[in-house]
Amino acid sequence: MMSEAVLTNIKTRRVVREMSDEPVERAQIEAILEAARWAPSGGNLRPNRYIVIEDAETRRLIRLVSPGMFQRAPVLILICTNWAVCAEHGLSASDRALLIDVGTAAQTMMLAAHALGLASGPVTSYSKEAVKIILNLPASYSPEMFICIGHKAETVGAGMRPWKKITWRDLTHWERFGK
Amino acid sequence: MSANWVLKEDEAVELLALLITSARIQMDEPVEYGPLRLLTATERLSGLMLERSSDKTRDFLQENIERIPEMHMIMSDVAAYTAGLDERCRAVAACLLRHSALAEGE
Repeated sequence: MMSEAVLTNIKTRRVVREMSDEPVERAQIEAILEAARWAPSGGNLRPNRYIVIEDAETRRLIRLVSPGMFQRAPVLILICTNWAVCAEHGLSASDRALLIDVGTAAQTMMLAAHALGLASGPVTSYSKEAVKIILNLPASYSPEMFICIGHKAETVGAGMRPWKKITWRDLTHWERFGK
Repeated sequence: MSANWVLKEDEAVELLALLITSARIQMDEPVEYGPLRLLTATERLSGLMLERSSDKTRDFLQENIERIPEMHMIMSDVAAYTAGLDERCRAVAACLLRHSALAEGE
């Protein structure tokens, strides 16, 4: 059943921090970007813009200002908020919908990558100001999150231990509180 | 004391980039990430130094390169993480002694 395939894809995706040098096909990158286009967006305003970085030297410089980027991914996709779009619709920087848009785009891209047999991992631990300089970003773009895309390395260490073992039940409350 | 150069200028600048950007992002991140960033810098510096280091230092550097990525994975286990940090502290102390006049004649 189609729904089983989708659920299996959701449950088997993992954040991958060790990737090989194997390149990613252009068609696969475009498929991931196409998936992101279908991610939910508050008011369907779509303020996100995506920057694809394949150039080796640019990726190296990005890693140097990104202490949280452990991956040596062959492809980086940077999710940006385009504040020009926000200004057109009167959205302020404090509007949480903007961060939710980044999240839905990120998860949609990582699920798409997994469906294509690729590894992925999000990175938010980087200097925004340094990234703006390295990528020569337009003034209206703010860099919100990198998605590293590549192939999982053959030898991968154990994943990060969970802070606490949880199930969906630990995260859920049914109906009104106080009953 | 050893006086040989173990870093190229480009490599030192790379390490500076890691340290400065780590300081900035730590303003927005959980306190537990502070040790993580310092260890990442330690691992990076160890990798940069390894090729030109002396016998007194090489094993210590190699251990950092091998063990620090494993430590990142156990951050949530505070006791194990702390034990790992203590083990690195003992290793660096031993390395300092190898570079010190105190150890001469031992």
